[in-house]
Amino acid sequence: MDQLELLKQQWQAREQELPKLSFDEIYPMILKKSSSVVKWILIASVIEIAIWIGLNFIMPESSKTINQGMGLSRVFTLVNVIHYTIFAGFIYLFYRNYQAINSTDTIKELMRKILKTRRTVRYFVYYNIGTSILILIAVNIYYYFNKELLYELMKSTFTDGFAELDMATFTSVFFVSQIVVGILFIAFIAFIYYLVYGLMLRRLKRNYVELKKMEV
Amino acid sequence: MDQSLEHSFVKQLEEHQNVVHKICRLYTRNQDAHNDLFQEITIQLWKAYPKFRGDAKFSTWMYRVALNTAITLYRKSKKGVATQEFEGVSFKIASEKYDDTVEQQLKLMYTAVKDLNDIDKALVFLYLEDKSYREISETMGISEVNARVKMNRIKEKLRKILNP
Repeated sequence: MDQLELLKQQWQAREQELPKLSFDEIYPMILKKSSSVVKWILIASVIEIAIWIGLNFIMPESSKTINQGMGLSRVFTLVNVIHYTIFAGFIYLFYRNYQAINSTDTIKELMRKILKTRRTVRYFVYYNIGTSILILIAVNIYYYFNKELLYELMKSTFTDGFAELDMATFTSVFFVSQIVVGILFIAFIAFIYYLVYGLMLRRLKRNYVELKKMEV
Repeated sequence: MDQSLEHSFVKQLEEHQNVVHKICRLYTRNQDAHNDLFQEITIQLWKAYPKFRGDAKFSTWMYRVALNTAITLYRKSKKGVATQEFEGVSFKIASEKYDDTVEQQLKLMYTAVKDLNDIDKALVFLYLEDKSYREISETMGISEVNARVKMNRIKEKLRKILNP
């Protein structure tokens, strides 16, 4: 006989070999906290969103002064209004996706919903990295074309460090450090993100792909 | 949550706990992980219980939540190192003509099933539980035809593993 059929035949017959928990053993279990992947995804996502929102607030006073002096404060206000509107949209989408996750869904539907929830956060991070790069580039191009004004402003804001630098040295030091810091910052974010996202969802993704394959 | 709900839930789970234990055996490799998964499935079942209307059988409803937990929601603990004694789930046949080779074959088959990927394992589990292809397709979220085709492929795969 086929071995799988043999196993099936024995399957129900061997139930007595399974552990048997009593009512009093099961009862305390329902009071414990879940440590499901959804909970961890929620925690990671909330941290990510909070970090990005937080980053917008920790801009140092000095750079605000400089932006103001460069005539950029209006533009920045406008950018911030758009930025936060988009943030609110992302948070709403994230919340809606999260609410839709239900352990009584079919296996495929559950996996699809979790991945969708995560995808929203991923787009949120992409959006932030993307706009950070764009703003960095745009601001630096603007600075470059107004480098005399920038030089004067920097000299008056940071009185001790910049006073000795001449215009040419200042320009190269300033723009090189802007680029280096920008690249390091984005690489760091991408790395952290890869760690969190990759570790948590590897198994889920693999299983989802496996299930999708059945549909072909 | 009111007490009578807790009581009726635990009572029903106690009655149908075999389903959960079988899933835990298939998806974990030692007793610690088995207990861990059982705990998580219990929490997920309890969380979903208020939505259980009783229009489906408790056990049918359980399959879905329990498999979802084992495959997707449960985060494998670091304690998941395979221990030999647990691997060799005893498969003694209660019949008169106890046959060592049959026992051996059962063990091999069970090990082969355990080595399948998470999704294939769920399919085989439902098959072993004697679920219809309609029920299998409703639990997995794939069509009945696809479930049938896939099951045949898995059977073929298992046959090849055991009879190379």
